[in-house]
Formats: sequence, structure tokens, C-alpha cells
Amino acid sequence: MDVITQVVINGILLGTMYGIAAIGLSLIFGTMRIVFIAQGAVIVFFGYLCYWLFSLLGIDPYLSLIIVIPVALLLGTAFYYVLFKEAAALKDRIGSLLIAVGLMFFLENFMTVVWSPNPRAVVTSYGFVVFHLLGLNLTLTRLIGLLLALLATLGVFLFLNKTLIGTAVRATSEDVEASTLMGISPNRVNAVAMAIGIGLSAVAGINLATTYSFDPVYGFDIAIKALVALTIGGIGTMYGALLGGIFIGIIETMGSYYVGAGWAQAIVFAVFLLTLTLRPYGIFGRSSQKA
Amino acid sequence: MANQLLEVKGVDVSYGDIQVLWDVSLQVEEGTIVALVGANGAGKTTLLKTISGLLHVRKGEILFSGENLHNLKPQEIVDRGVIHVPEGRRLFASLTVKENLRLGAYIPRTRPFFAESLERVFSLFPVLKNRKDQKAGTLSGGEQQMLAIGRAVMAHPKLVMLDEPSLGLSPILVKTIFELIRTLNEQKITILLVEQNVNQALKIAHQAYVLKNGKIVMCGKGCDLLTNEEIIKAYIGERATKRKG
Repeated sequence: MDVITQVVINGILLGTMYGIAAIGLSLIFGTMRIVFIAQGAVIVFFGYLCYWLFSLLGIDPYLSLIIVIPVALLLGTAFYYVLFKEAAALKDRIGSLLIAVGLMFFLENFMTVVWSPNPRAVVTSYGFVVFHLLGLNLTLTRLIGLLLALLATLGVFLFLNKTLIGTAVRATSEDVEASTLMGISPNRVNAVAMAIGIGLSAVAGINLATTYSFDPVYGFDIAIKALVALTIGGIGTMYGALLGGIFIGIIETMGSYYVGAGWAQAIVFAVFLLTLTLRPYGIFGRSSQKA
Repeated sequence: MANQLLEVKGVDVSYGDIQVLWDVSLQVEEGTIVALVGANGAGKTTLLKTISGLLHVRKGEILFSGENLHNLKPQEIVDRGVIHVPEGRRLFASLTVKENLRLGAYIPRTRPFFAESLERVFSLFPVLKNRKDQKAGTLSGGEQQMLAIGRAVMAHPKLVMLDEPSLGLSPILVKTIFELIRTLNEQKITILLVEQNVNQALKIAHQAYVLKNGKIVMCGKGCDLLTNEEIIKAYIGERATKRKG
């Protein structure tokens, strides 16, 4: 069997999780102009929610999406209107950014109290099913994770391109003032962007819970990787964010296989710095300045 | 007295500590074209932004059909039929022509007439129909200005405020745009026109105001100001050198 192919495939499967987190970051950044640093903590929170639904109520993780996604969309809307609305009206973005940082630390500590700092994982009966295809080992849960990530991306893509409010979100990412002059309420689009961002976190959280073990502070790592993915992929394009995530996933798995787990992280951030130095707008991205 | 659609009464506006408009008053009579002229930095754009709710009034009031506008949010002002076409067109470059027009009719009041408004825009600007699936960023300067005006027409406007619609256009296109403004006016849309092309603006305007250092310094019929020596000296004579890219 071909080791490199196997490592790359594992990287892709890991990277789609960063990728959908990066799409969420990109949407929120597009309308609110902040890096939603709490994204990773929210993903872990949904991991725990999935864990609870599974271990206490016996609800299958994938089936639980039917409940978890609507909850996530509502939670995202609530986050915006309760936490960010006042700060978002200010020209200075630092208030909104600090709220995101505060939310991250609150969630981390909240989860530590409720679920303890010990790692958890959702272990299903099918969690160990592995397909052998062309000499490759493909884990069922990771394949489902990939499929869910792609479906979520497609869903967001259709929403942004086929609905009026989705079009308004894209317009606002380009020019807030011009969209306000169309009668588009900044609060409305900010809330929608955050709802979608949190909705994507729910999908990522379930993928996390079914494939990895996680603890309350693991989210920061995901958020930073998603930020790196977004930087490499270029802020403002969905496919760029997804590809950036996959790229980070591949670098990470290759780094830990060939060089060692500790080095993998260093390599990821070295690539991040290199990208920012050479192409400040990312490899796939458009310039954030207007044409 | 004639029916005033828009009345700005003694308005002061500041950016932080810096006051930009001082006791500005103007009236826009329903069905007319009113020009607001003046040099760069006189406060013309600031006044339009204040009317459309992007900036707040510090003193004075703004009435539209007798209703106070200055406490309303921008989307409520759009809902009243006051549409601001900003300087530099500010199209959504990565969105298609049709998507830009669709957002022009974003306000719920206008959505039922979407198909009808789209036909109206396409009959005013046939070129946009051919380019409807193209990204707005790929249009030429003249087409972009047409789209910016078309986007305003989609909103079923009562009053359209145009900020420098001729900026950056070739002389032939400038002529086209001014003809178009007149056509819109004939379709019962009241126009408040901000222009540095003072000569053209005064020619089509029923009424005109001159703004200088944040104050209204002159007002009168467009044709009267056109022959006013002070105006000719200050704005029209040096028009060619004043216009920017």
C-alpha cells in the first residue's frame, strides 16, 4: 500500500473539518470584520452536546444533527443579538473581537466545569468500521465526516447564491455602506452570518466527536488552524477556505507522519507565516481592497 | 406654496469634533430636479449621507413628505422611497448585474414589483439586459453608472439622490447620463443631483443650491445660476481642471 496516499487521504479528511470552520470564520469576518476566535470552542461545545445526546439519551451522533443544526442556527442568532449587536454598531472592531475572546474563555471554562477537563470521545458501534479500498484504509466515520462537510458547504453555497438574504450577505461582505443604502439591515446580515457560522460549527463538532477525542480547550487549536486555512485560502471565497483547510490537514498529517507530531504544528504555522509574507491575501483569495 | 417633497431645515452635521455642515437648509419640490453644486470638500456628500441616515443630524431637521427622517434607520428611509446612489457607484463587483438589481428591490415593499421593475430598468438600459449574468465588476464605467441608477429604480423611488453620476465618464457618456436623469424625472421621479460638472447640472436643474465650506451660499433657478458671474468664475470656468479621474 501507498503510504503517501494514505497520509494525504487522512489529511483531507482532517482538513475538511478545518475547512468548514474556516468557511464560518470567513462569513463572520465578511460581515462583522472580526476574527471569530470562539469558533473552535463552539465546535468543541457541539462535540460535547453530541457526546451527551449519545451517552445519556442514546441518540446516534449523525441522527442528532436533525436537532443540533436548528439549535445551532438559533444559538448563532442569539449570540449575535445578545452579545454582539451593540458592539457591532461601533466603527472600532476591538469591542466585538474582545467579546469573541470572552465567549471563547467562557465556553472553555463552562465546558471544563460541566464535562471535566478529561478527554471525551463518542464511541459508536460502527466507529471502528474500516473499508479497504485499493490498499487504502478508509474509516467509516471519517468518510461520513467528509460527506457531511461537503454537504454543509454545498448547502451554504446554495443559500448564499440562491436566496435574497444570502445575496445580501455577500453584498455586505463587499461593501457594508452600499448594502445599507439598499435597505439591508446590518444587524440582520450579521445575525445570519453568525447563525451559519455556528451551524457549520455544529457539523464540525459532530465530525470532531465521532473521529477524535477532545477536551474543553482543544477548540483554540481548531480556531487557529481554521484561521490559517482562511489566510492561505484567501478571505472572501468559500472554496478557498475549504481548500485551505484541506491543505492544512494534509500538511499536519504529513508533518506528523514524516517528521513527528510536535513538528507538524510548527510546520503548519511556518506555512502560515510564509503565505502571509509572500501573498498577504492568500493563495486563492482576492484582494480585500476594492477594484 | 408648491408641494415640497424634501425639506432640510437648519441642519448641522459633524464627524466627531469636526463640524462639516452649518445650518444647511434646502427644499426639493416634488417632480423637479434640484442640483447641489460646490467644490470638493464643501459637504455635498455629507448632506446626502445625512439624508439617507448614514450620518446623524446634530441640529435641525429633515422632513420627507412632512415626516421626520432624521430619527429613522437607513432601511426605513429606503422604505419611504428615498434612494441614494453613492459617489463612485459602489456596485457589488463580485455579484452579477441581475443580483445587483435584485438587491435594489430588497425592501419588502418593492419585492412584489420585482419583475415589472426589472423590465423597466431593462427598457431604460437595454445594455444591462444583455449583460445580466455578467459580474458587475466587469462592466465599463458607463454601464456601471447605468447599473447604479438601475439599482435605484428597482426600489420604486420617490426621490433619487445622485452623487457625482458623471464622475470618470467620457463626455459622450456624461451627456447620456444627463439625458437619462431627465428621462427619470419625466417618469415622476424627483431628483437631488450632486455634481462637480456644474455647467451640465445647472442646465437640467429646476432649482439649484451652492454649498461652500459646509454652508449654503446661494440658491436660485438652475438657469439663473448658470448665468451668474460668480458661479461662472468659481465653478464653471475652472471645471476642466477641477474634475478628477
